[in-house]
Amino acid sequence: MIDPLDLKLLRDLGRMKGQVVAVSLVMACGLAMMIMTRSLIFTLDSTRAAYYQKYAMAEVFASLKRAPLALAARVAAVPGVAVVEPRVAVDVTLDLPGVAEPASGRVISLPEDGGPQQLNRLFLRSGRMPQAGARREVVLGEAFAMANGLHAGDALVVVINGRRETLEICGIGLSPEFVFEARAGETLPDHRRFSVIWMNYRPLAVAYNLDGAFNDLCLDLTPGTQPEAVIAEVDRLLAPYGASGAYTRKEQASAQRLDDELRVLRALAVAYPLVFLSVAAFMVNAVLSRIVRLQREQIAQLKALGYSSRQVGVHYLKFVWVIGVLGTLIGGVAGRFLGAGLVQIYTLFFRFPALDFQLDYSALALALLVSLGASVAGVLTVVWQAVKLPPAEAMRPEPPADFKPSLFERIGLTSWFSPALRMALRNIERRPWPAAFTTCGLALATGLMVLPGAMSDSIDYLLTFQWNRQQRQDATVFLTEPGSGSGFHDLEHLPGVIRAEPLRSVPARLRFGHRSRKLAVTGIAPGSELNRLLDERGEVLEMPAEGLLMSAKLAEVLGARVGDEVQVEVMEGRRPALLVPIRGLVTDFAGVAAYMDIAALRRLLLESDTINGAFIALDHRQWDEFMRAVKDTPRSAAVMVKREQLAAFRETTAASIGTIRKLYFVLAVIVAFGVVYNSARIALSERSRELATLRVVGFGLAEVRGVLIGELAILVMLALPFGLLFGRGLAMLIMASFSTETVRMPIVINPATYALAITVVLAAAALSFAMVGRRVGKLDLVGVLKARD
Amino acid sequence: MNVEPPLPPPPSAKQVFEARGVRKVYHTGEVEVVALHGVDVALEAGELVVLLGPSGSGKSTLLNILGGLDVATCGELSYKGWALDGAEENTLTLFRRNCVGFVFQFYNLIPSLTARENVALITGIARDPMPPEEALAMVGLQERMDHFPSQLSGGEQQRVAIARAIAKRPEVLLCDEPTGALDVTTGIVVLEAIERINRELGTLTVVITHNAVMAEMADRVLYLSDGRIVKERRNSTRRPAASLEW
Repeated sequence: MIDPLDLKLLRDLGRMKGQVVAVSLVMACGLAMMIMTRSLIFTLDSTRAAYYQKYAMAEVFASLKRAPLALAARVAAVPGVAVVEPRVAVDVTLDLPGVAEPASGRVISLPEDGGPQQLNRLFLRSGRMPQAGARREVVLGEAFAMANGLHAGDALVVVINGRRETLEICGIGLSPEFVFEARAGETLPDHRRFSVIWMNYRPLAVAYNLDGAFNDLCLDLTPGTQPEAVIAEVDRLLAPYGASGAYTRKEQASAQRLDDELRVLRALAVAYPLVFLSVAAFMVNAVLSRIVRLQREQIAQLKALGYSSRQVGVHYLKFVWVIGVLGTLIGGVAGRFLGAGLVQIYTLFFRFPALDFQLDYSALALALLVSLGASVAGVLTVVWQAVKLPPAEAMRPEPPADFKPSLFERIGLTSWFSPALRMALRNIERRPWPAAFTTCGLALATGLMVLPGAMSDSIDYLLTFQWNRQQRQDATVFLTEPGSGSGFHDLEHLPGVIRAEPLRSVPARLRFGHRSRKLAVTGIAPGSELNRLLDERGEVLEMPAEGLLMSAKLAEVLGARVGDEVQVEVMEGRRPALLVPIRGLVTDFAGVAAYMDIAALRRLLLESDTINGAFIALDHRQWDEFMRAVKDTPRSAAVMVKREQLAAFRETTAASIGTIRKLYFVLAVIVAFGVVYNSARIALSERSRELATLRVVGFGLAEVRGVLIGELAILVMLALPFGLLFGRGLAMLIMASFSTETVRMPIVINPATYALAITVVLAAAALSFAMVGRRVGKLDLVGVLKARD
Repeated sequence: MNVEPPLPPPPSAKQVFEARGVRKVYHTGEVEVVALHGVDVALEAGELVVLLGPSGSGKSTLLNILGGLDVATCGELSYKGWALDGAEENTLTLFRRNCVGFVFQFYNLIPSLTARENVALITGIARDPMPPEEALAMVGLQERMDHFPSQLSGGEQQRVAIARAIAKRPEVLLCDEPTGALDVTTGIVVLEAIERINRELGTLTVVITHNAVMAEMADRVLYLSDGRIVKERRNSTRRPAASLEW
């Protein structure tokens, strides 16, 4: 037997199902975002943890010039070190058939004795591991293999230490070390032009004159060990062997990229649901206030019959519970499917043996809790009013609402106001809170609509800024080893080269106070035309004769300002260390970098004219000749071709943001429609007597609709400017959460984006006006007028 | 926007409404309720007619059909020779706008508009309205024109509703229990206003009540029962509203 009050609840809800659905949908949007992002975090986090554990991701990494294998045993003896895996890791150029531009690869050796890897174990997607003693067999990274259609059994041409070798792909695999598979220092993946390759130790070591030695080291620590002490000791042991400083998993490029992604998701998991649930709370408040006003007499009757205030209060809270539960159900299902779809985007960036969406059930429970919390908070005052109403008073009709001339009229702007406009203004002024809530809801919807456009505007700007104004080279060539000036001369004279500018980069640790970062300090020529350093206004920064220019983000991370002196500890050669002042901050959007005048850097290193690469501008007619020549240049380790990077960027980041844009667009439309529809339905219900009166005295349907909609139209107009401002704020907040050391976004919003937001909100408003306007025609004129309000 | 009756002049220049066999059936769910069982009636200009009868006798239904708020299920109804049965919604809107004034038991003022503005709502759309001030003066409210409904007593609110109804100079004033929510003294003041309008403007006035005393102020009294006019009475003299007591 259902409680009669619950029957009443169900029937009341049935009569207002349109509004129940509208509010639940808005709530569901927020919850879906929350469940989706939290589940994505859970999926990425747990998949990563399982992968790292099962495939023994190393905890400390180090690279060096050359050290005898025997040194590995000494490293193993350092207290806290559990496992040591010495290996050879080198950069190579790949020559893909039918592709002019060279690709590059990172070749990593497998254990010498053909035994299993102890750390960073390979997961084989297909094929097999190289046989012990096989000289030409390699396992190829999965992302590159897929992007280029390569399979086990195919040949791969690799320039190994200057010699073209044709290797045989025996397997396709991936490793926890390269979940994010990109060149060192690159923040975006380029799966078509970069691969990780694994091959047996001996052929690789012999080719690089490292037989019996290693140039790369991975460590696992005993549980509970603090890495700092181990790193200090390892650095001490490796220093004589040209080591560039050991670092932890946190600083490892792939792991760091994943961390950054999770940080962004965590920010979104809070910001977005907060916005939606606030709107939903406003809407619930409006709906319930209306019900309580409408059911004033019923409340009195219930109390007269002996229901307690608590029972009445609980009854009205149940309206909210139903909406909250419905919202959670819709949000849960939507979040589940959106998440499962969106997880595909992550496979563009991150490679796992399997990335299967896992619903975070705790997020569902949290969603229910949060939605109920938000809506109950939204209606507490209303329920309290219902409960404390003395029965006798409630039985009497409410006196006519108290009105006064609106502010506009009091200051004398009234003579040309139509009665409809006066009614609208006075209504708004008499009950400012509902009007304010509606305006807020609409402003939020407008703001949500600005965000996706702002994202693409920012990306467009970023592309222009980074690829047209900052990086004006066509290609950047890196050498395997720092070379003399003649090396630069060779690059300058490759076919098609119009201009070449030398670069000298050296690994270093920058330290300011207690904070430090390990990165490459790049020396470039003053007046560089190809790699220009720009400030926040987009003006070219002059390279100072001494001192550093660095990414603004790097200065922020170090806590340093222009004029501060940072400790630069070079981790190559003689390993000089000295204090260098910061002379300016560079605006850039990917990675962090520090620059010096190339001459100053060489002085610091006590070198004459060494380079380890060059920025190159090409005559496009000789594009293919240049690419062919550079493939055959023995000392070139990597060639980064700008237009290839741009294409990769469009395939990955731009595509994923495109998907997210569509999602946000749908959410914004739901909110805009829901808010206007809900407000219009409430206005219709509250003002049915007025509207019926107007119909009876002879107003036409269109005129009466005008009166109903006028007030909401004023609120829509009022909401738009606030919405645009809020959208800008939201975009800044979200972009700030994107602002990591690996990727940052400039904040750029084009007028067209604002215009689109306005158009969409107006269209959603017009649609809900139309739906509610139809009901004006169905008003029961006599019934409304003869009923006591 | 004005709609003139398109038909030839009515049979009698004085005749305003003529109803023949007007029937009204309501369908609520599966129940069929017959509210009017075929009413024949003719109402003339300048008359003050009182409809008397118990609840459910069909008074309000008849009034609503006369005023174009509702349409008859079958039967013929004409206003000055112009057929109202089967008229379209837009036509009925214009009929209400220009020809009919309504007063209900509940005043149905727009709370966000002052007395003057409530009246001005009509004067803004009607064909030949009187100034709102004049309409309010006729009901004795010239002093309280800029008050909002919440600042007026019940009787005053009802008089604003009457002023609003007559500001369009309607041919017909239809009042459904105009004093139903008022005490005797204020009720009398409201009836005086109705009486004055009927006398001074010559408006055909139909008043619904179940208070038999009010029949004394009418020219003609129609008794309704069970959806039919069961009796008709003509008063030789009208008693002034001020002298009524109940």
